[in-house]
Amino acid sequence: MDSITFDTAFWLDIFNTYLWPLLLIVGKILLLVVPLIVAMAYLTYAERKVLAAMQLRQGPMMVGPFGLLQPLADGLKLLGKETIIPSGANRFVFVMAPMLTFMLSLVAWAVIPVSDGWVIANINVGVLYLFAISSLGVYGILMAGWASNSRYAFLGGLRSAAQMVSYEVSIGLVLVTVLLTTGSLNLTTIVTQERPIWVDVLLFPMFVVFVISALAETNRAPFDLPEGESELVGGYNVEYSSMTFALFFLGEYMNMILMAAMTTVLFLGGWLPPFGIAALSVVPGFVWFAAKISFVLFVFLWTRATLPRYRYDQLMRLGWKIFLPFTLLWVVVTAGVLLYNHALPGMSAAM
Amino acid sequence: MIEAVFFYVFATVLVLSAIGVITARNPVHSVLFLILAFFNAAGLFVMLGAEFIAMIMVIVYVGAVAVLFLFVVMMLDINFAELRKGMMKHAPVGALVGFALLAEFTWMFKSWSPSSAALNGVAQPIPDQAAISNTHALGEILYTQYVYLFQISGLILLVAMVGAITLTLRRRPDSRRQSVAGQISRRPEDVLKVEKITSGTGVF
Amino acid sequence: MNSFTPPELITAFPEIFLAIMSLMLLMLGVAGKEEKHKTVSNFAALTLLLLAGAVYRFCHGSNLTFNDMFINDTFGAFMKVLVLIGSAVSVYMSTHYLERQRIMRFEYPVLIMFSTLGMMLMISAHDLISLYMGLELQSLPLYVLAAFQRDTVRSTEAGLKYFVLGALSSGMLLYGASLLYGYTGTTEFTHMANVLNGTGAVSLGVIVGMVLLLSGLAFKISAVPFHMWTPDVYEGAPTSVTAFFAIVPKIAALALITRVFMGPFGHIVHEWRQVIVFISVASMVLGAVAAVRQTNIKRLLAYSSIGNMGYALVGLVAASEEGVKAIMIFTAIYMVTSIGAFAVVLMMKQRDRMVENIYDLAGLGQTQPMLALAMTVMMFSMAGIPPLAGFFGKLFVFQAAINAHLYALSIIGVLTSVVAAYYYLRVIKVMYFDAASDDTLDRAEDRRLNGLLAVSALALVLFIIAPGPLLTTAQAAAQSLFAL
Repeated sequence: MDSITFDTAFWLDIFNTYLWPLLLIVGKILLLVVPLIVAMAYLTYAERKVLAAMQLRQGPMMVGPFGLLQPLADGLKLLGKETIIPSGANRFVFVMAPMLTFMLSLVAWAVIPVSDGWVIANINVGVLYLFAISSLGVYGILMAGWASNSRYAFLGGLRSAAQMVSYEVSIGLVLVTVLLTTGSLNLTTIVTQERPIWVDVLLFPMFVVFVISALAETNRAPFDLPEGESELVGGYNVEYSSMTFALFFLGEYMNMILMAAMTTVLFLGGWLPPFGIAALSVVPGFVWFAAKISFVLFVFLWTRATLPRYRYDQLMRLGWKIFLPFTLLWVVVTAGVLLYNHALPGMSAAM
Repeated sequence: MIEAVFFYVFATVLVLSAIGVITARNPVHSVLFLILAFFNAAGLFVMLGAEFIAMIMVIVYVGAVAVLFLFVVMMLDINFAELRKGMMKHAPVGALVGFALLAEFTWMFKSWSPSSAALNGVAQPIPDQAAISNTHALGEILYTQYVYLFQISGLILLVAMVGAITLTLRRRPDSRRQSVAGQISRRPEDVLKVEKITSGTGVF
Repeated sequence: MNSFTPPELITAFPEIFLAIMSLMLLMLGVAGKEEKHKTVSNFAALTLLLLAGAVYRFCHGSNLTFNDMFINDTFGAFMKVLVLIGSAVSVYMSTHYLERQRIMRFEYPVLIMFSTLGMMLMISAHDLISLYMGLELQSLPLYVLAAFQRDTVRSTEAGLKYFVLGALSSGMLLYGASLLYGYTGTTEFTHMANVLNGTGAVSLGVIVGMVLLLSGLAFKISAVPFHMWTPDVYEGAPTSVTAFFAIVPKIAALALITRVFMGPFGHIVHEWRQVIVFISVASMVLGAVAAVRQTNIKRLLAYSSIGNMGYALVGLVAASEEGVKAIMIFTAIYMVTSIGAFAVVLMMKQRDRMVENIYDLAGLGQTQPMLALAMTVMMFSMAGIPPLAGFFGKLFVFQAAINAHLYALSIIGVLTSVVAAYYYLRVIKVMYFDAASDDTLDRAEDRRLNGLLAVSALALVLFIIAPGPLLTTAQAAAQSLFAL
């Protein structure tokens, strides 16, 4: 063998062009994901506390001060359990499903701008990317329902698939309306784009539709039929246990946070201080971002505490017969009003 | 180099999953392979710089079409082995036709020579990617030069929808639907009667 | 930003008007609770008829619009008038039949309108993409219409068969189109004609692409060897739908084939002539021979339509202005004959049940002489017996072929029409010379069908007296195709 010469310049080059960017990206991802997972854990805590407060109970109190360590205890308990795979199940798909769900809920965060410039991938088609990823969420559920080889799980999976597909249509049209006002598919541009107040007013009905559709999309109350405990004993994840169940659980809550983040970015001005008050910009952007997300999430929990569950036909009726025509109409109305006022993006430049 | 690595990863997985689609015994697995194939095709589009098409591909094919495929395949109890039974009988003829076509096309592509006029006639040269995002570029020609085709596609989709409804919708007079307006406009005085009952007399 | 001038919409006015009317009728049908099929259906027929008049009156010359994807010329206008009249008649004559079968719904006329729109777009196609889009818009409603009687196995089978084979043919057409684009670098017809200007060798790819394109289009006119679906679909589909299939879509597909082969491929006639000769001869022979054994009148007419498409293609083989003119005259006469023949088929019922066997016509000469007479005119005309119009249709076609020195083809054509005359005459024989069975046909009481039958029979008989208008219009139309 020849003597191995250690070519410093070559390895430095490799390090500079490939390794360092890779480390940088991994670092960024960790910086985003770790707080997210913590946030997700405390979302479960918040949910129980908020529900408890609304029902004049105390919620978790025993583990740690004010029960603050409860999510940790829950997680440990799930980890310690045995993973049971039903004998008739399709093993590969059965195990893939929760992993897919969890992975998708994380992948979407790549394009969410947490603060000015704080985004992993500032791509041109951010909105479409988010829409694409959220439309994939249905696969985890459908696969889980089918692979479990159980009627309850299968019915839950089918319900959920139909529900998610139905509401995606109106979400898509809501996105189109937002795009009409901003003229960009880039999420950072959407946040920073100046919007006159009357455009915000025009968008308000779409905001309402979006939040309700987000509830349906994440299978939250009052649209939590896929898990309808009363008739489906827990829905698509009835056969799951231990870590596989935990992944579904994590994925679901992560999706909630994601939907809240989307609402924030599209309608609530992202990391910018509320109502454009300049004095408030002392507070760093990501704090505002987190605060806005928390607010939307609180609305989610509030809804759960307040409203009874929809019946399945009512759910479909709302999606197809009310939201779809309404959003369709509103796209046209918005486009018309913008055109009339010469406020379509790119229009003033062309004038 | 890194582009090349990604290209080969996407391309390999795409081809392998495409093979998986037609060889998998379980139809649900076939559909799952199909989804994987779509996904990798989208990846290739991203690498070409056609990010808009890539996203639309995922949204439309993976997010909508394949979901319905999966839906149907999961619900139907099709015995594919049974369906394939007659296939071997016709396989030789099919193979012969396929082979003849393949030979023809090979022969044809060997004589490939784009005419000089062909290169002058290109309708829409690809715009500079740095200057204009491809979503924008696509929109600019789709709604101007190709507006005619865009409108006809809309009509075709409408016809498909009308056709599907015509062939499947059955009016069921016996099904009881919820009438929201009826429920809301119901007033207590229309349906409730308050009777003062003195003790020991009964209602009637 | 590239500058953009909005397309001139007035050129495509008939199509835009039809699209808007179809959408409005669709809305009218959906709105409200009660069934509105009668209103929708009458409105649809009226719209189509008025539009035919408008196209006849206003569409002349040769105008391109929509980035040169759409052409409106006299040739197109002629074919569009035929298509519109055919569709209007189809809608008009199917109402009673559909009501009796209890399958009348407002979607029926709306689908026919959409299909008609697709045909008009086909006729006006001036680009491979718009050709394909028009074709799909035309075919999709046809698949649905074939399966319209969705509770019977025969109709759903017809629809499914048609759909699967139609999808296959679309695939071939698309493959051909992509090859043509690859080898010529354009989809637009004028550009393509410039590339294939006859100088220099035509590359193999262009020829394969052209043949694949022709295969896809031949499927639509059910020319042999792409005819397999025709008898089954004709037999399985509800009779009024079969009537529509027989009368209208073939006109549009024929117009499209003519435009494509006279336009972009006009300079390379030597490359495609033998292909069309084969298709034409095969269709004529199969149409004549296979129909002999049929006893179901719908199947019989299916084979007859296959044969007739063969005759029409003879005009295309001539590849001359005279040939195109002959195609147009032949198509117009064929349409009128089909209307009459299907009006009779729609009247064939015994004790209120539809019957389709030829022998059910037995004794019609005695029981309903007028009906039998009208049917005789139709059959004689289809057989090409002078002095009826059908004779002239064939005459012009063969004349064009002879003038283009295609003697063998003309002889085969004449021979096959002699064979075909056998089964047309057999129908007449059954009507007049076979003893009536116990079950005779019910009296023809449908006023609409009687009226149509009378009009078409008169038109065929009286054509010899005043052939002028049709001939001069066809002449002008054929000229416009070659004017470019």
